[in-house]
Amino acid sequence: MSLSTITRRGPEISDAIVSFDPVTLQRKPVKKADVLDQFRELRNHEAVRIVQQIPERDGVLDATAVDKVLITSHCEMQRMSEEFQHGKRVAELLKPILNALRDGGVQNPIRIVDIGCGTGFVIRWLAASGSLGDDVELMGVDFNVALLGEAQRLAAVENLRCKFAVANAFQLDEPATVFISTGILHHFRDQDLSYLLQQHCRPETCAFVHFDFHSSPMAPLGSWLFHAVRMREPLAKHDGVLSAARAHKSRYLLEMTRAAAPEFISAIYGTRLWRMPIPRVFHSLVGIRPKYREAFIRNMGNRIASLGKIE
Amino acid sequence: MIAVLLWLLATVDSAFIGYREAAGRNALIDKTAYYRHALIRGALFGQVAVLIAGVITALALVSSSDARALFSNLELVGARMLIVYVPYALIILITFCVRAFPSVDIRSITSVLIFGPFTFIRPVVVLAGAVWGIVAAPGAITIALTALIVTLMLGLGGALSWFRSRRLIS
Repeated sequence: MSLSTITRRGPEISDAIVSFDPVTLQRKPVKKADVLDQFRELRNHEAVRIVQQIPERDGVLDATAVDKVLITSHCEMQRMSEEFQHGKRVAELLKPILNALRDGGVQNPIRIVDIGCGTGFVIRWLAASGSLGDDVELMGVDFNVALLGEAQRLAAVENLRCKFAVANAFQLDEPATVFISTGILHHFRDQDLSYLLQQHCRPETCAFVHFDFHSSPMAPLGSWLFHAVRMREPLAKHDGVLSAARAHKSRYLLEMTRAAAPEFISAIYGTRLWRMPIPRVFHSLVGIRPKYREAFIRNMGNRIASLGKIE
Repeated sequence: MIAVLLWLLATVDSAFIGYREAAGRNALIDKTAYYRHALIRGALFGQVAVLIAGVITALALVSSSDARALFSNLELVGARMLIVYVPYALIILITFCVRAFPSVDIRSITSVLIFGPFTFIRPVVVLAGAVWGIVAAPGAITIALTALIVTLMLGLGGALSWFRSRRLIS
């Protein structure tokens, strides 16, 4: 993987090699030549080389081969999440939120929906830890059937109490009480991001927590180093570094959220550690309905020091 | 003592190679047994590497016209290698102690500041130790033996992956 990846701005290969109809959720064929042209235009030769390796059928990227690469990449990404204690990190932030919702009398069950869950690491980790309480339902949604199938298989192997569905997270029959996601926000820019955040404004939804790479001058280089030593799949290496380079700035995320989802008060959690400029991998965008604010802050305990101004 | 220390470091290093080679290939949540096997497998592969290095060193000593001088040179090379490898290993060990503290943030910092960068520089450290050793006692046999050890240290991960690609390990 070349160091020049840190200077790129997108798109990620995983965004370019799959396409779904947003209404029917059906997978659409992706022409290999189109993807290659897109990356050639961006002078992203590394991406061109990676896409060239993916088999095609009649000019269309082979869906099975694409899924195989994506599943492998997600497995390697999970390793990184485990190293950075991501499951525990999510649980630590969800607990004060869930307790605030319980204090506020929110109806049971509390349904946590992971948007774009991939192979469902976070949902499966939360289910395995059992740390959120019996009144919590865990669900992962994604458009990709193969990734979801893998998530279901893995959950079944470990007999975990969680569900996965190929669905639009905002059009579920049983709506979410809390939306969560990891590494999703940077895939959405400007109006698309605004639209995603607007979707949280539905009566049943009480809070959201979106984890993503923490944008900083050092982040792309740090990400490059970690992907160089921890990942094997070229696509995972390329996209991982690009994700850090494309991460949204905290202020931008907050401005977008406050404009798009004014029903919620929001803040960034974990940008600074112990009020010092120690490099962070992830930070999170936290939104909660104002009536739960006081209970949430009270339940945060010492962690409140890592929460930005919530308003 | 020098040989024992080098063997100990090689064993620990190869166990971690086994861990790293297995990491990212199993998406289950509970991987305790999986990683335990990976660590043991790495350490065992490391013993094979140590055995190869040991046998070739013994052959070199037996066939040398001045075995005592060669042994002394090899000891000097080994001692100088330890000067480079022991501090590296100690930093990793101390970091593991810090990581035992049950804090998500502290554990993440250990990865950001130490485990990630130190994995990245490991090949350089391996080479640096070898060069630092050879400089003290340059000679065809010491250079050849040190090069063999470096090759084994740096090639172990690849060897494990090769076995995996042929489904000889899982």
